[in-house]
Amino acid sequence: MKQGFYSILPFAIGAAAYGFAFGILAAQTGYPWWGVALMSFSVHAGSSQIVAVERFAVDGLVVGAALAGVALNLRYLGIIASLSAILKETPLWQKLIAIHITGDENWALTMARHAKDPKIGAAFLIGSGITMITVWTTSTALGALLGQQMPDLASYGLGFAFTAAFIAMARAMWRGPRNLMPWAATFLFTILLVKLGVESAYAILLGSLAGVAVAALLRRQENTGELP
Amino acid sequence: MTLDHWLLIALLAVGAYGLRLAGLIGGQAILQNAKLKTLLDDLPGCLIVALVATSLADASPLTWIAAAFALLVAILTNNVVITMALGFAAIFGMQYFGVGI
Repeated sequence: MKQGFYSILPFAIGAAAYGFAFGILAAQTGYPWWGVALMSFSVHAGSSQIVAVERFAVDGLVVGAALAGVALNLRYLGIIASLSAILKETPLWQKLIAIHITGDENWALTMARHAKDPKIGAAFLIGSGITMITVWTTSTALGALLGQQMPDLASYGLGFAFTAAFIAMARAMWRGPRNLMPWAATFLFTILLVKLGVESAYAILLGSLAGVAVAALLRRQENTGELP
Repeated sequence: MTLDHWLLIALLAVGAYGLRLAGLIGGQAILQNAKLKTLLDDLPGCLIVALVATSLADASPLTWIAAAFALLVAILTNNVVITMALGFAAIFGMQYFGVGI
């Protein structure tokens, strides 16, 4: 566990910078520092939190904001599922904690180390997870403390910091040219819907589904093309 | 904090943990379901692109320029914090120096 605790530190520094920036933004939308800390500790999902807080700030709809945040976290179904072999012998109570403290960084590091040395497993995952959730909670709370003391940044274009964050997240999710058509469809269809006066929460949902449909069609075409 | 602030934390926490728990229980069945796997692979990226699109749909040309700049930074650095910082600096700088488009 100790090994995991220390091995993840270089990644934790990156997460801390991101957490600090998120804390500043969250404080500007009305969250006190302890509220940000509570959210980070109980949700422990960076991109979900940033999306939900932005949505909440834009239209104030709690359910829509939560749905957008949770939908972005769908990948955790696959991430946690992929840990089933590593967590096989772990007691249930530890499993229930391990899945909460698993984030992108410590999952990827554990999987990579496990592939090289099968002895590295649940203890490493839990140790690195404890580091990650501690750093995430602390850095977001510190960012919020600073954010509370800042002037109203909205008038300086703060909303764009969220947009820039989304652009960077999209870049990180880019998996090559196969994303181009679905993403272009999503982008254009969503803009069209907003221009037609559709509420942004619905435009996001419908635009995303349009992109998923295009991706599914392309995959189908690809598979059919491969048949003799 | 208002009730809505509390509610958002609660819904996010339940939703995030629910997905993790479903991953733990559903395990391999989830990974082997081709349709579900497609959805899991494609939805998050499309969702983020849709969020960018709604932010820009009614925005000024200045914001579109800043977005193009942020995209360039994101492509070059692949780093969220640097992209946020430089993107914000770009739009702040254009406003400060009176670039009115």
